[in-house]
Amino acid sequence: MENNRSNIPSISPAAVVVTAIFLLVSVIGINWFTTFVPQILPEQASAESKSVDELFYILVIIGGVVFFLIQGMLLVSVIFFRARDDDRSDGPTYHGNPLLELIWTIIPSLVVVYLAVISFNVWNQNSEPKAAVNMIDGAETVIRVTGARYAWTHNYETSRLNPEGAPIVINSGDKLHTYIGQNVDLELRTQDVIHSYWVPAMRVKQDLLPGDPEAGGRPTEIRFTPVRVDGVEYPAEYPIVCAELCGDGHGRMRGTVVVYEDEAQFMAEFYEPAIHAILNPPADPVLRGEIVIQEYICNSCHTLDSLGWSSRTGPSMNGIADRAGERVAGQSAEEYIAISVWNAQAFVVPGYNEQMAVFGPDQTDANKMSAEQLYAIVAYLCTQGEQSDCDNENNTVAIPEAIKTAFGLEVDITFGQGDDEAESATSETDDEAGESEQDNAETSDASQ
Amino acid sequence: MATIAVPLEAQAEQHEAEAVRRPALSEYLRWSVDHKIIGVQYGVASFLFFLVGGAMAMGIRLELWTPTLDLMVSGSAYNSLFTMHGTIMIFLFIIPMWAAFGNFVVPLQLGAKDMAFPWLNAFAFWLIPPAAIVILLGYFVTPAEAGWTSYPPLSTLFSGDGQTLWALGAHLLGISSIMGSINFIVTILNMRPPQMTVWRMPLLCWAVLATSIIAVMATPFLAGALTLLLLDRVAGTTFFDAAGGGDVLLWQNIFWFYSHPAVYIMVLPGMGVLSEVLSIHCRKPVFGYRMVGLSSMGIAFVGFTVWAHHMFTSLQPELRIPFMITTMIIAVPTGIKMFSWLGTIWGGKMRFTSALLFALGFMSMFVIGGITGVMLAALPFDIHVHDTYFVVSHFHFVLFGGSVFAIYAALYHWFPKVTGRMMNERLGRIHFAFTYFGFLFTFFPMHIVGMLGMPRRVAVYDPNFTEWNQLISFAAFVLGFSTFIVVYNVIHSYFHGPVAGANPWRALTLEWATTSPPPVTNFADDPIPFEDPYGYGTEASVAYLEAVEAAFDGGRPGS
Repeated sequence: MENNRSNIPSISPAAVVVTAIFLLVSVIGINWFTTFVPQILPEQASAESKSVDELFYILVIIGGVVFFLIQGMLLVSVIFFRARDDDRSDGPTYHGNPLLELIWTIIPSLVVVYLAVISFNVWNQNSEPKAAVNMIDGAETVIRVTGARYAWTHNYETSRLNPEGAPIVINSGDKLHTYIGQNVDLELRTQDVIHSYWVPAMRVKQDLLPGDPEAGGRPTEIRFTPVRVDGVEYPAEYPIVCAELCGDGHGRMRGTVVVYEDEAQFMAEFYEPAIHAILNPPADPVLRGEIVIQEYICNSCHTLDSLGWSSRTGPSMNGIADRAGERVAGQSAEEYIAISVWNAQAFVVPGYNEQMAVFGPDQTDANKMSAEQLYAIVAYLCTQGEQSDCDNENNTVAIPEAIKTAFGLEVDITFGQGDDEAESATSETDDEAGESEQDNAETSDASQ
Repeated sequence: MATIAVPLEAQAEQHEAEAVRRPALSEYLRWSVDHKIIGVQYGVASFLFFLVGGAMAMGIRLELWTPTLDLMVSGSAYNSLFTMHGTIMIFLFIIPMWAAFGNFVVPLQLGAKDMAFPWLNAFAFWLIPPAAIVILLGYFVTPAEAGWTSYPPLSTLFSGDGQTLWALGAHLLGISSIMGSINFIVTILNMRPPQMTVWRMPLLCWAVLATSIIAVMATPFLAGALTLLLLDRVAGTTFFDAAGGGDVLLWQNIFWFYSHPAVYIMVLPGMGVLSEVLSIHCRKPVFGYRMVGLSSMGIAFVGFTVWAHHMFTSLQPELRIPFMITTMIIAVPTGIKMFSWLGTIWGGKMRFTSALLFALGFMSMFVIGGITGVMLAALPFDIHVHDTYFVVSHFHFVLFGGSVFAIYAALYHWFPKVTGRMMNERLGRIHFAFTYFGFLFTFFPMHIVGMLGMPRRVAVYDPNFTEWNQLISFAAFVLGFSTFIVVYNVIHSYFHGPVAGANPWRALTLEWATTSPPPVTNFADDPIPFEDPYGYGTEASVAYLEAVEAAFDGGRPGS
């Protein structure tokens, strides 16, 4: 057997031809694949997405070479080294070639070093802290994101002040509003389990980690800068997805990034209307309630046809006003609803578990709720039924004693003209100065 | 040159009376300390779990046919379904399945009469049924729904009793795995015949040795993590509860310090199988034997330094880069293996047996898992696809395209030795075709939905991905169907397959130098291994194979 002596077993000229054809196919294939790549990635909506995708192209090209090389050699082997059925002989006794082995140790090592270096560069470039973040109206703004099973809440701590002199906080629910060129820098906190904030179009993702609530949680950070995408009408919307398993509703824990064309459009379509709505809430508590209830994450678990909610984790709220008065003996419908919203553990509907969080002035971020907001919600839910059991005259709401104690209230709440009085009645424990003033901040979701 | 003949003939004579007597089926249902019985017990039990886990995968794909929740009553029900799928496939199928082949083949390849600790061996196996019962029972109380990774606080503060049972079951399986691995290490290091230096050891033994070292070093960390989890769940401690000063990343670190090396526990024996099968069925020595053996050890070592790449989106940013580098490095020893296998088949005389087809299928699919592995190591790209279907695709290319293809290759290769009967090659080829294409079309498109924005572990997804998911589900059903072919083939061949003889593949390693199935004591005398386990093509090897054939009067060509 001559093959024993030659360094590389000889192959027929046909094999050389096939190899050549295969190489050609590979080059065309890789080339075709890189043109196909933009279709298998979302839009490049951030500055980061461009460098990440460039890195991916390089990975695909190198990976493609390896892929075609190995599949090609397999194919050549399968075609040319097949033993005939009557051939019982063995192949050449060829134990290896140190030079070849050295080559296929060193070349992959060099490739790996190259990939590590370019990945490191992209990472460095993308994770470098930016100077002016979340610029709105010429000032840096803190944007807090809260993940709670199973919804996102975004809070903007603005530079505008309310009549009491505290910063106005805009709660934009599951929507993040931003504009092209804004250096977005979000502070992420979770209220329960680990979530992961992923915006596929921005190529960014960061886990939200549970921390000690007394230490203000364990904030993590995510940064990106939206850029213009050709052929898109602004404001453009991109999904936010929860990427870490968080329980029953993980799949529907979604949100939206709304990107405006420039700061002017952002101000006109989102910011100013939101501030305006906060400073001038509707006098009618029902209308207010309809706005307020959508700032909270009720929709992540409950069904309510009038607002298009369809989740089944918690009990349905359709027709709640008809049932609420009969749930607990001696308790009015309003009282039942109010206590249920504030502290759901008080009455758990049979067949459901005790998952719902507590809401109130002493809670943080997404669970923070003023007495006013609570009663706007009660007023709104009292309209959800054929013949409401609620007694809601004169825009005044009677308050159960338990809630008065919990919210530090002394008088009942009056809406409309008596607004200012009502607000001064809510005496809060001010441990986080400024932030707690967010109670007063009513919100509207400009995009809805 | 050839050091054979005498001992073999002596054995053959001595075995004539009891030769080719198969153990009664009832022997497999009893406590036995015979490594061959235990190997079959492991194999059949884990294959049954493969069927259960596979049925669950079919349920998952059925649910994902539409973007809304329809098959399952709730998201939680879906969560517990894939939790059980992952747990069963990893802890009750792949890991014990390698114990099956390791048990049956390794002592035979070493020319030993049994494992070093036969009683411990049986005990390790018999821990599996109670562990499986505990885990499966958990599915019927409030089932675990935190995924097989069981991240707290979802698995502590927000889960029911099924999670406790899950942890207890996994604990038992960990103990079983440690005991089995100690046994392999002692057996391989101490029970080789004097002529067999480590550099003459069959590569399956090298791979099982590397695997067992990983298992012995890593599994105690799983036990530690599970203990902390159990204490948090039942004893009121707060190791993972931030409100009590705990840290959720503690779990992720300890868990992945086991579970990343566990990937190599699941795939290294498959690589050992591949070296055997490729060399034997291509009639050519393993290319670069030493490097193939050493790269198993290299993978085992580097595998311990990469765990935190599973935490790229939760780890402190400054710690991510070092793990990116170590993760990329592991591509090098893996590449050495891949190229060495190519060198092995290049210029060989390939016999397209089912075993070889699955081995080639492994190479063809595993390379995709390797490429996406390097992509996932590249931190900026990983941030985008972390916890998406891209990852689901990647690890199925490694664990199905890798481990399961290798398990099938091993099944077709050693079935004649285990049962004394040949499997049906035509059915084997059909099985391969369905598995290969079903697998490719199930898992390749998952890369794309992942990159487009579909996270993993969701029952409800963006309706834009519906068509992709229906393609995936359809291919998955084809893949699921392919399993019935091999089940039929195994059962049919066990009863009606042609008699195999001692050495149907004309292989040089020692397990083929005894009857099929081997007698209780494996070898009458201490057998003398052929000087080179893969020395095909030499006159000495031909003489040796002829001697084996003559001695057992049963060696016949493969197909």
